[in-house]
Amino acid sequence: MFKSLAVALLIALLAGGCASSSPKPKGGSVVNVVEPACGNSDIVIKEVRGKRRKDGFMVVQVQGENTSGEYRRLEYKILWFDKNGFQIDTILSNWTVVPAYANQPFSIRTVSPSPKARKFRIYIRNEKEVVCDKQEDGV
Amino acid sequence: MRQTRRWSLIGLLAAALTVSGCAPKTENIDIHNDKDAEAVMGLDYRDFQNAAEDLVRSMIASGALSKPGGGRYVLAVSTIKNDTMQHIDTDQLTKKIRVALLKSGKVVVTTAVGAEGPEDVMAMKTRQELRGNEEFNQRTVAKKGQMIAPDLSLSGKIIQRNITIDRSRQQVEYYFQMTLTDINTGLATWEDEVVIGKRGSNKSVAW
Repeated sequence: MFKSLAVALLIALLAGGCASSSPKPKGGSVVNVVEPACGNSDIVIKEVRGKRRKDGFMVVQVQGENTSGEYRRLEYKILWFDKNGFQIDTILSNWTVVPAYANQPFSIRTVSPSPKARKFRIYIRNEKEVVCDKQEDGV
Repeated sequence: MRQTRRWSLIGLLAAALTVSGCAPKTENIDIHNDKDAEAVMGLDYRDFQNAAEDLVRSMIASGALSKPGGGRYVLAVSTIKNDTMQHIDTDQLTKKIRVALLKSGKVVVTTAVGAEGPEDVMAMKTRQELRGNEEFNQRTVAKKGQMIAPDLSLSGKIIQRNITIDRSRQQVEYYFQMTLTDINTGLATWEDEVVIGKRGSNKSVAW
């Protein structure tokens, strides 16, 4: 049976103009990874990038790798927040499946539900199993 | 005779107790965390939710909803054809999409134009019947030439394919296809398809 794998990697992210303690965004990304609160041995998150498009929508890309020898059916969820820190109500904040093939990189690419989105928080987990539910807002 | 009746009563009582004891308990579904629920061969609310999410995400990501120069597009919802063996109200899909698009701030949906006439019949009827009616203050009646024509039309189809794997198993595939058409040019500015597949017993009926 599957051993308990990295299920939830919680990464608190915020867009440019974030807390002074945050590291500076790399490569033109508008996202600062505030704190990777939880880690895991098999699912490694390598990069989180965010860009604001000309039409105002934010695009988010997460790149990671499944270092285990087994296929993982991961799920991710992104909560979006407006400039006042209020969560944006949307169907795009439900858990969404992302395949992570054995010993292969995987990526998540998604878009904000509205141009009002200024911050986001992403959660990644193995299906049905939450190992980590710690939250770090970082704002 | 008396003993027979007694035994019959006992039998009936036992049967009633057995039946009531075996009846599945009714419980409310937690639609926010329903992962442990068994999948069904037919389409359920989770399938519509997943399809709507994927389609909206794709539509926004494509940039087709972003009007050059800003502002909002007016969208008319055309026919979503149900080509499955199930009785589906396609509003289960389109309503989720419409709400998400409206919340995106890039689109407003017109209920005055639809493939089978206005969606909101009352709104149209009110305009037409109250105009010129002396019982109503005409300043409060909607004027002619005020309605906004749609820029975009959303159409689609839900397709079902049943495939027999072997004597005991079958595979059912559902295809959610959608197209966004620029009414001015007639060109499809966005198209996508979401596939949902299910594999299960032949005894399960997918309609």
